[in-house]
Amino acid sequence: MNKVLDFIRKKLSVKVSLGVVFFAAIIFTIALGYFFYQSREAVRQEAVNRASQILDKTSLRVEGILNRVEVATNIAEWLVQRHPDKADSMFVYSRGMLLNNPDFYNCSIAFEPYFFKDQGRYFSAYSKHVGDTIRTTQGGSDNYQYFFMDWYLMPTLLDKPCWTEPYIDIDVATNTSEMVTSYCKAIKDKQGKVIGVINTSLSLNWLSQTISATKPYPHSYSIMIGRGGTYFVHPDTTKITRQTIFTQTLEKEDTALTALGHAMQRGEEGVKQMMVNEKNCYVFYKPLGQTGCSMAIVCPETDIFGGFDRLRQTVMAIVFVGLVLMLYFFIRIITRELKPLRRLAKEAENIASGKLDVELPKFERIDEIGQLSQSFGNMQQSLVKYIEELKDTTAQKVSIERDLNIASDIQMGMLPEQFPTKDDRDDVQLFASLTPAKAVGGDLFDFYFRDEKLFFCIGDVSGKGVPASLFMAVTRSVFRTVSAHESMPDRIMNTINKTMVDMNKTHMFVTLFVGVLDLPTGRLYYSNAGHDAPLLVGAGVGVLTCNPNIPIGVRRNWKYSLQESKIFTGTTIFLFTDGLTEAMDANREQFKMERVDEVARQALNNHQQEPKQIIDVMTDAVHQFVGDAEQSDDLTMMAIQYIKQQSDVRMRKSIALTNDIQQVPRLNDFVKEVCETVEMSHEDTLKMKVAIEEAVVNVMKYAYPAGTTGDVTVEAASNDVRLKFTIIDSGKPFDPTVQADVDTTLSAKDRRIGGLGIHIIRQYMDSINYERMDNLNVLTLRKKLQVSNIET
Amino acid sequence: MMKTTIQEIDGNMVATLEGILDTAAAPETAKAMEPLNDVEGKDIIIDCTKLEYISSSGLRIFLDVLQHVEDKGGHVYIKGLTDDVRAVFAITGFINLFEFK
Repeated sequence: MNKVLDFIRKKLSVKVSLGVVFFAAIIFTIALGYFFYQSREAVRQEAVNRASQILDKTSLRVEGILNRVEVATNIAEWLVQRHPDKADSMFVYSRGMLLNNPDFYNCSIAFEPYFFKDQGRYFSAYSKHVGDTIRTTQGGSDNYQYFFMDWYLMPTLLDKPCWTEPYIDIDVATNTSEMVTSYCKAIKDKQGKVIGVINTSLSLNWLSQTISATKPYPHSYSIMIGRGGTYFVHPDTTKITRQTIFTQTLEKEDTALTALGHAMQRGEEGVKQMMVNEKNCYVFYKPLGQTGCSMAIVCPETDIFGGFDRLRQTVMAIVFVGLVLMLYFFIRIITRELKPLRRLAKEAENIASGKLDVELPKFERIDEIGQLSQSFGNMQQSLVKYIEELKDTTAQKVSIERDLNIASDIQMGMLPEQFPTKDDRDDVQLFASLTPAKAVGGDLFDFYFRDEKLFFCIGDVSGKGVPASLFMAVTRSVFRTVSAHESMPDRIMNTINKTMVDMNKTHMFVTLFVGVLDLPTGRLYYSNAGHDAPLLVGAGVGVLTCNPNIPIGVRRNWKYSLQESKIFTGTTIFLFTDGLTEAMDANREQFKMERVDEVARQALNNHQQEPKQIIDVMTDAVHQFVGDAEQSDDLTMMAIQYIKQQSDVRMRKSIALTNDIQQVPRLNDFVKEVCETVEMSHEDTLKMKVAIEEAVVNVMKYAYPAGTTGDVTVEAASNDVRLKFTIIDSGKPFDPTVQADVDTTLSAKDRRIGGLGIHIIRQYMDSINYERMDNLNVLTLRKKLQVSNIET
Repeated sequence: MMKTTIQEIDGNMVATLEGILDTAAAPETAKAMEPLNDVEGKDIIIDCTKLEYISSSGLRIFLDVLQHVEDKGGHVYIKGLTDDVRAVFAITGFINLFEFK
């Protein structure tokens, strides 16, 4: 059953056909039902009318016959009364009666005993049909004393003519008997005395045949009952005169039959529907004139409605076959019409499985299926096109992603990867981390050492992603380029700003903090362009005071201010971008400065203020805070701890010179003496001599206008670790450290004369530092002492 | 402090530098070396066996001689550099400019 339902559900043709046929069946059922009902009523009415007509006709006929019997009898009586004395005439009258009425059974004119003196006791003129002739005899005899018969006594005693109950008439001559009913009338003379009786009989058999002759339906039949309900006419001849209509009800109660019997006895006229001999029948009944008899026609319903039922069955059969055929053709037609759809469905499945070049069937149709096919074709073309585009787009995206990854690698490659620790240096240790929110970020940090100074910067480019990263890369290289020749953060910042404003067509900007930490002294010079102020984690946690400067890239002529601070040994400068303070958790709440401050304090309390430690602690705190939320901004942190232990000065010497190169040998002697004091090797001593000579000659040659005399003071000092020369002059401001270095690989022809001196100084000294203080040029050169020197 | 001698030996011009060639001695030495700028068709050998010290001013004299001689297609050879002076030549890249004997 479920399989069948499944099949129906899957087949649109079957589903639609079943629906239509079911609907048609309902319509047919209602229409035909109504039609059959009405037709049946009409047929029934027609049957009633027809039966009533036949009944009327038959009843009229029977009444006609009976009337004829009575009239003929009256005529015979009249004839007898005219000639009552002629016995022979009676034979004529009797015979004449039958001659005139061939349908009468017999006729006898019987007289009182001894009425005719010459005829004896009995005289009855008796005529009867025998074959085609009429036999007329004298009927009375000792064996048949007729005046004791019912038919003779009844009219005499009742003194009126009457019809007898059926009785058997025995014909002695032919020894035949017949069931008859007779009309009997007494003959009276002029005095009113009864002289005889005329008896005219009708054969009940004949009467029955006459009545039954007209049948409205093949299986209908007639019955006639007498006053007592006795059957006079019945198809079952054994019942005639032997049974009454009520006989059956004695064996088995049948109220309908009893009611019919009573109605007929009462002489009523009507129609009843009832079961007769276990058949549904219509019974039409009517009394027969004055005879007290009543006749009925029994019509089986099967006869009445036989034709109708056959018609109905035929129609229903036609309708049923029609519906079945309709279902069949509907399924066929719809299946045929939907065939293209099935092909389309199959091809769609193919397309769905990736075979985009499937050839679609062409339908020469303009109906909905044709349109669908066309739309489908268009869809296929579009699909092919879109997938091609998608492939291209995907390929491009992959390419872009690859480029982006490379860009990210390049960007991260730009950042310093080696961080000096206390194992590497005795003056500073540093650590930094940068986590971009996207593949490439806009944060930057950088640091490098030059001339015993730590140059560092941290910045944040407005925006994120590729544009920010490009801007960041440019900023970082400009920082490197500018700081190579410039040692003061404010001047570095100004130059960076000018450069960036000139190339800033997209109106981006950078917040930038540039710091220069003088490692020997712990003096921090810095300039802040709108960046978050760094924390100082040392004796406590504090914020490095910063002037409010605008970010880089906004105003070309903005003068960035220089600030200065002393960093004590052990203090860590903690720099960060707003990615730290604005790190957001899932509820979009920010990490905030208060938390940064608190974490820094905890780190300090736990003695974790070393650069790597403090950044690790901060990173953990941020990760814990952010949880699973997506990183919203680039996060960069840099920590610089100043760790230089100041040593006691062991030696201090100085020499005052003028700007006369002839004093160079004196200078060399001074240097040699200093080097000997600190027990420097011969090799290093030579290097010191060359380096200091170059530095001092530079001042002698260029610090003062030609022809004027100027002073140059050289101070030498040393502690356990370093030897320091300080060259001081009051000439024009000149920073030799920003001079471009010579290219020692060029050929003699291309070599410039000049620049060699500063090159030699850089090569031979560990650091070189220029400061302009109190209108003095102060150049500091440092050389690390070898441990062996100190020990020996 | 500085002694400069120029002689012709075996068809080559040989300049012998003795002493300390610092900035103070440089102008004098430069002047003494000037004749070498006019030498044509001969190679020049600078004997530095007894040169104890040199600064960038001294190196300029070497470069000056080299540029003049190379213009005329000649060669400048340096002979007998002390370790101290060689270190300065090395640090400045001058060691690549000259040929050594």
